[in-house]
Amino acid sequence: MPRKTVEAHHFEALGTNCSLFAVGLPPGRLLEGEFWVRRMGARLTRFSPDSELSRFNASPGTWRDVSLELESLLRESLHAFEMSSGLVNVAVLRSLEAAGYTRPMAEGQPIATELRPCPLPRLPDVLAVRSGAARLEPGAGIDLGGIAKGWMADRLRDSLGSNALANLGGDLSACGVGPAGDGWAIGLGGATVLLRDQGAATSSVRRRRWSVEHHHLIDPRTGLPARTGLEEVSVVATTGVEAEVVAKTALLAGPDVAPAYCAAHTLAWWLSP
Amino acid sequence: MRTVILKAGATLLTVAATALSALYVTSHLKNPAAPLQPTVLSASGATTLSAPGGTLTLGPSVQPSTVHPVTSTYAS
Repeated sequence: MPRKTVEAHHFEALGTNCSLFAVGLPPGRLLEGEFWVRRMGARLTRFSPDSELSRFNASPGTWRDVSLELESLLRESLHAFEMSSGLVNVAVLRSLEAAGYTRPMAEGQPIATELRPCPLPRLPDVLAVRSGAARLEPGAGIDLGGIAKGWMADRLRDSLGSNALANLGGDLSACGVGPAGDGWAIGLGGATVLLRDQGAATSSVRRRRWSVEHHHLIDPRTGLPARTGLEEVSVVATTGVEAEVVAKTALLAGPDVAPAYCAAHTLAWWLSP
Repeated sequence: MRTVILKAGATLLTVAATALSALYVTSHLKNPAAPLQPTVLSASGATTLSAPGGTLTLGPSVQPSTVHPVTSTYAS
């Protein structure tokens, strides 16, 4: 099968590097994809007090109207909590702030704080979602983090035609057979693999780190930056958001549980201690 | 007399059923064909590759490639 021309578009958004690829699509469509990412990012960031997420976090104790997108993401977060037996918990905002992660990395390294254990509440105990509305309990705060990126990558994949790949800060989602007909070649765990109608993601404590003990991945069992014996997990799963959730779960579960968990929930996996 | 026979018969039946069950269970500790068995590495046709810094395991639906990747999962 002859190799087809790939349109590629790279940009910075969501505090990270993003790339969109498509076969047989005009470049303008990829630009539209960037605009959509920026619009969604502005609504879902926790760093802007005017974002929809920040306004939701700032009004606990009452049912608040939410957009279809935020409702979908909050439902996805509750699903991730169940799927991970509580290891993926988006009610992590207070722990991130306590660890010093209070501003985007682009604005400077967070300041390392004294770490004190404070286990996170169960997500279903602090977050409720119904059609068009959601309620957060006082004291809780939501950071959608990687779940939002994986979810957005899946939405982009669906909107960019039948042969496309979206990479939002390492959360990948692909559809179609790629430019050569055998899949989209992506880097995963030091090797190259081919994605076909699949998602991929890496969960790592090697990046977004601001001291030996401080990094962005919070263990909900302690409320502290995770130390599980694994530093990096990459997986291929059926969707981008599922890959994100499974990679994070495996990393937090640690080296004893991760291989069996990945074998049961992923299509390929990379474990790095 | 009839009651004693009935009790003895019931007791014998119980003991026999217990003994046979124990024999069966101890000789069938694992049934590889049992349903609802979680996916395991040996059964999934997975391939494990050694790479610097970790291990990469590929299931049958993910193929390795030698071409240059267009992107990777390592942006964040």
